[in-house]
Amino acid sequence: MIEWRDTVDMQNMLEKAQLLINGVTDLPTIPVITTRVSALLDNPEVELEEAADLILTDQVMAARVIKIVNSPLFKPMHEITSLKRALIYLGFRRIREIALTCSIIKAFEGGTGAFDIKTFWQHSFGVGIVSKIIAEKVRYPELEKAYICGIVHDIGEVFLSNYLREDFERIIEEIKGTSQCFMDAEIRSLGTSHCEIGFCMAQKWNFPREYCDVIAHHHAPQNATLDPMLVAIVNLADLFCSVRQLDYGGREWVSFNLAEEPAWGILQGFSPSLSGLDVERFCFDLDERVPEIKDLVDSIFEGSAK
Amino acid sequence: MKLSDIDFEVLRDFIYSVCGMYFHIGKKYFLESRIKLRMAEAGTATPGEYVTLLKNNTRGSEELKKLLNDITTNETCFFRNPAQLAALEKQLLPEIIDYKGKIGFRKLRIWSAGSSSGEEAFTLAMLLLEKRATLLKDWTIEIVGTDISEAVLTQAREGIYSPYSVRNTPEMFRKKYFTSEAVGRFSLSPEVKKMVTFSRLNLYEDTKMVFMKSFDFIFCANVLIYFDIPSKSKVVQHFYNNLQPYGYFFVGQAESLHGVSEKFKTLHFPGGFAYKK
Repeated sequence: MIEWRDTVDMQNMLEKAQLLINGVTDLPTIPVITTRVSALLDNPEVELEEAADLILTDQVMAARVIKIVNSPLFKPMHEITSLKRALIYLGFRRIREIALTCSIIKAFEGGTGAFDIKTFWQHSFGVGIVSKIIAEKVRYPELEKAYICGIVHDIGEVFLSNYLREDFERIIEEIKGTSQCFMDAEIRSLGTSHCEIGFCMAQKWNFPREYCDVIAHHHAPQNATLDPMLVAIVNLADLFCSVRQLDYGGREWVSFNLAEEPAWGILQGFSPSLSGLDVERFCFDLDERVPEIKDLVDSIFEGSAK
Repeated sequence: MKLSDIDFEVLRDFIYSVCGMYFHIGKKYFLESRIKLRMAEAGTATPGEYVTLLKNNTRGSEELKKLLNDITTNETCFFRNPAQLAALEKQLLPEIIDYKGKIGFRKLRIWSAGSSSGEEAFTLAMLLLEKRATLLKDWTIEIVGTDISEAVLTQAREGIYSPYSVRNTPEMFRKKYFTSEAVGRFSLSPEVKKMVTFSRLNLYEDTKMVFMKSFDFIFCANVLIYFDIPSKSKVVQHFYNNLQPYGYFFVGQAESLHGVSEKFKTLHFPGGFAYKK
């Protein structure tokens, strides 16, 4: 990995990312409905009826919520066909997760990018789910935040794939069959990377500051400023997904030595019991969840076709 | 007999905690069929009773050995663990060749511990032969296969295999390194056979283990699962000492060294891990 990133480089890369984003006039927006659902569910007094009515104003979102609640991830005993029952079954917090993630996926639908968008989301949901699992293990209090941050950590890649397609195809070609990572190849070719681009997008979308921090530093958790624990969680989840069948890159080879990863050190600092974690078992259990994660993404995509 | 999901998980957790071997849910039916046979022989009526028997202090360990035997027999074949072989080829071998090349020590030593009839050792031999003209030009290669059973070592030295053993072998290797004079018999080429030296070794014998020195890679798949934790720790400590300072140790695809050795560092790669000294 390129080691020469210092403050000046970071500033230059951010400026470059901002220029690239400003050059795009049709950057997707996060629908108003998502922000409203999210705000509504923040209110502890919220009534089920009220939430259901609001979600039903967006039929696509309503259909996706029902698809997702019936996916193997949540495993209801009987098929759930009404939105109200889905809300009761999942609980408000999960509905917010689903509303947010559906709208992020929707924001990038329809574009023809340089990589397969479904595989990309499988990786992203994988990182979301694994972030949540790691967050539980290290007793990070906000599991939902870890999940969402895992899902959005690579949104800068979607921008590159959709809006700088030719450059990005060249980058994919360049790293294919090597052990180079996207970030280094992007910096060499564009002077910035998906981390800075994603950060600028997240700011434009008014994402919470911690999400922006994760997006900017998910490859270098030691540089995190707001919530190093959260960034370390997503970084580790990303590493595990990349070696356990949830990678989307064209890279042929990925490997890491856990003990030498900065994220591992950061998390051990917060949660000393982590050193006793059976990492092998963690990987085996993760392998078992891969089909479930792929099914979830399938179900979301099927929802969009309706 | 059907194994319920709960019984499966109880059994899987038990086997993992005792042997360090993980059963993927995809292998449930396989495990079910083997357990059915074991239950009949052990005279237990339900999976629950069988698990109780396995956990029994006096009779349990013997029965567990029989079950493990049933589960792991016939598993041996050429190119059995593609994830490990890919790691070796793409990263670990070039890394060690580069390191040793720089210090002018052009000799590679590999040990297949618990080699059985030689499939793993010969797979490695074939992979390295393919690199003879390039990466390993002018290198001395030593591959050692050891097992406690003379019978399997004799088979290994003969180098004649069934179609089942070569089922995962890529076409290119099958054509290049095997001949099939009789139906159902694949003979390994002398070029591959002469690359591996087989000898009898009991991994428990400390006096012999200390002489197995300076290996770059040690492979020991589906052997340690039969040992209790203290014996496992002792044997793994030997492996640690037997490795060069930069060497790697591999166990089977579904095996774990968690709780056995704190000394190794775990290197994760797609579909598996290696233990680095």
